[in-house]
Amino acid sequence: MEIHDERIGNTCVVTAKGRLDGGASATFTDRIGGLIGSPKPKLLIDFSGIDFVTSAGLRAVLVLVKKVNSAGGSFALCGVQDSVREVLDITGFTSMISIHAARADAIAALAG
Amino acid sequence: MTRFETSILATPETISALTDKVMTYLEEQGVEGRTTHHVGLVLDEVLTNLATHGNCSDRPAKIAVSVEPDKVVGEVIDTGPPFDPRLAPDPSLDIAAADRPVGGLGLYLVRKLSSALEYTRRNNENCTTFAIARGE
Repeated sequence: MEIHDERIGNTCVVTAKGRLDGGASATFTDRIGGLIGSPKPKLLIDFSGIDFVTSAGLRAVLVLVKKVNSAGGSFALCGVQDSVREVLDITGFTSMISIHAARADAIAALAG
Repeated sequence: MTRFETSILATPETISALTDKVMTYLEEQGVEGRTTHHVGLVLDEVLTNLATHGNCSDRPAKIAVSVEPDKVVGEVIDTGPPFDPRLAPDPSLDIAAADRPVGGLGLYLVRKLSSALEYTRRNNENCTTFAIARGE
């Protein structure tokens, strides 16, 4: 799992690459969770490099969503691959979190 | 029909490596991308459940994956306590993030992605067999 973060405007944009499974979920939560600091944080995770997400990975995403929400912030995903999208659909994550096709759209939505 | 067989002590790291290996094998066999993904995911979830609840950290599980013309069949045999994955309760999916429990999704994905899911208990072993339909 490779994780890179940058700040675009007031949004923290994280690019993750690899498999988000039981072997990677703790690193994913710790690393990205550590970036959620300011009041009303805006967090975007670019999933275009994530080709495999298990239930352990979904739990990691949910932990981050809860952390952002409890700080009064907003959370979004972008660039979700088809197979991963299917997993998000089946598990109800699609209706629970904001998902955008393009990174620019997600940043605009979080900024607004 | 071609078949892949191995055995592992189920830990997050070994499961990750095995799933990767199985998916590479399926790609080499010309299995479609979506089918390959689903086989990898279901296999990961069955083994992760075993690693979490199976109490068999020192007893390897046997894994076999067979490629057939219309489906891929996976089999996991373990020595954990009797456990039928078909009987685990479905999670509640229509609740907000704040109220949503963290967990319970793995076996739900196993049931939703498998075109067939069978379980038998024999010789003090659990035998879980799943099929993923091919196509796409």
